[in-house]
Amino acid sequence: MKRAERKRQTRARLLEAAARLFASQGVLATRTAEVARAAGVSHGTVFVHFKTREELVAAVVSDRGRAVMDRIHRAAENRQDLRAVLEAHVAGLARHEAFYARLVAESPALPPYARHMLLGIQAATSHHLRQVAEPAMEAGQLKRVPFHLLFNTWIGLVNHYLVNRDLFAPDASVLATHGEALIDHYMALLAS
Amino acid sequence: MSDPTCIACGMPMTSPEQHAGGDSGKDYCVHCARPDGSMKSYEEALEGMTAFMMSSQGLAWGPAREAVKQMMARLPAWSGR
Repeated sequence: MKRAERKRQTRARLLEAAARLFASQGVLATRTAEVARAAGVSHGTVFVHFKTREELVAAVVSDRGRAVMDRIHRAAENRQDLRAVLEAHVAGLARHEAFYARLVAESPALPPYARHMLLGIQAATSHHLRQVAEPAMEAGQLKRVPFHLLFNTWIGLVNHYLVNRDLFAPDASVLATHGEALIDHYMALLAS
Repeated sequence: MSDPTCIACGMPMTSPEQHAGGDSGKDYCVHCARPDGSMKSYEEALEGMTAFMMSSQGLAWGPAREAVKQMMARLPAWSGR
């Protein structure tokens, strides 16, 4: 194997190990030595690939955040009604549920890029919601409310369940357990 | 394989219609194109995305603009800004 290829694989292994640890125990609580151990490399190797711990965190947030955003976008495009977009949002988050929940919970304490990534994920979501919600409000199929409140009501609900997922669904996916009920409830609130 | 993303706003472009002018050879999206098909300037993009963040997520102008600036700095069209 070429040296460059080996280096690429080690970097990918470090990102994967860090993402798993961040998801399971939190970003702030994870030490680089633990990441090295989980990836099966020496502690020093972490810093060959990432100059600082912050650089590693930024790379994971960017990598996973991008993946969540892409999933939501792909699941939501061409959906014709609000329920379908909400289902797509839940499905898009489900794959990286634990990591996303940590990002939501810890982003105010992380460097600004983490929060900006979260806002970017939400921008992708709001873009798709808006495309279906505004015409539905126009047509009288949904209660007429300012769009940002419609959006924040949904995000607030979902994020509350995600951040407290250990209380709502210990040892299970909170989105798989409660996602449908949240969508039903939200749709009922907005029914005109 | 991941989809191409708009060089100016980062949106994944999963179909030809999402590229400017429906032309999959264009590396920016419909939202980042002016009516004549050319790509919006940095200022136009910044202003447009800030307004979008404010109206869709309810953010105040300052934090919305700052978030958009930071996001734009990571995109190929605006690197070095």
